[in-house]
Amino acid sequence: MRQRLLIVDDSMTTRNRIARVITDPRLAGLHIVGQARDGAEALQLARTHQPDVVTMDLTMPTMDGAECICALIEMLPDVRILVVSALSDKLTAIRVLKRGAHGFLQKPFEDRQLVDTMIEAIHL
Amino acid sequence: MNTALKSRDVEVFTEAVATYFERTTRKKATVRSAYLLESRDPFPLSDFTGTITLSGRFRGIVCFTAPRVLLHHVLMMTGESDHSDLAHCDLIGEIANQFAGQARRHFGGGLEISPPALLMGHAHVIPRLASNYPFVLPLTWHGYEGSLIVHMEASH
Repeated sequence: MRQRLLIVDDSMTTRNRIARVITDPRLAGLHIVGQARDGAEALQLARTHQPDVVTMDLTMPTMDGAECICALIEMLPDVRILVVSALSDKLTAIRVLKRGAHGFLQKPFEDRQLVDTMIEAIHL
Repeated sequence: MNTALKSRDVEVFTEAVATYFERTTRKKATVRSAYLLESRDPFPLSDFTGTITLSGRFRGIVCFTAPRVLLHHVLMMTGESDHSDLAHCDLIGEIANQFAGQARRHFGGGLEISPPALLMGHAHVIPRLASNYPFVLPLTWHGYEGSLIVHMEASH
């Protein structure tokens, strides 16, 4: 069964890049249902599209990624969340993993790193 | 606590930019010799500039400034089809965002970091700190030149 992916990042070029990398054949089980610029927009899209997988930036306006992770898990308890962020110190990583994220990828990333981390995070 | 700025404090930002180019485009950037910008010289701003502002243990700014052609080439190499001003601003913002992550890792707590601010064009005045001169670190990537500017001091 194909899994629905929501991309959340305040950078348009990063959202577009993730969308391109997701076309890798090893991620053929994923299809993109939406792209959000912040946590608030992500929650709106999540209500509509019920994503199975979310890539989540942390530093965003309106609602940041850490807050959004908690709200998403409350709304969709089975959602798998991969954090993709430049804030990659240990404390930040531990904090978001404790909140329920399933993986952490540091920006900047290579395309293959995103594919590998995604596969690991969502058990494709 | 010793809060004097050390050469390593500047190097973390050059590493942030170099890593960004290498991981994103698979082409390395070369950082050339740094120089100090004298008080009468304006900041050498290029077409697009991304800036973060620091406060707390240290204060000041860190910015990366680059010509349109450099950013355009990065957009092309990453497969981006949007080559508008907005895309160029977005990209330079993402590069500046790397500084925030690197600063957080290197300096730890006690440092407030603003979200990236974006400037287009050369006609901007960036406030100077009274106590020191900005470091300018020219950087060459794929034959194009941008500059990293680090203007920080320890807070007292």
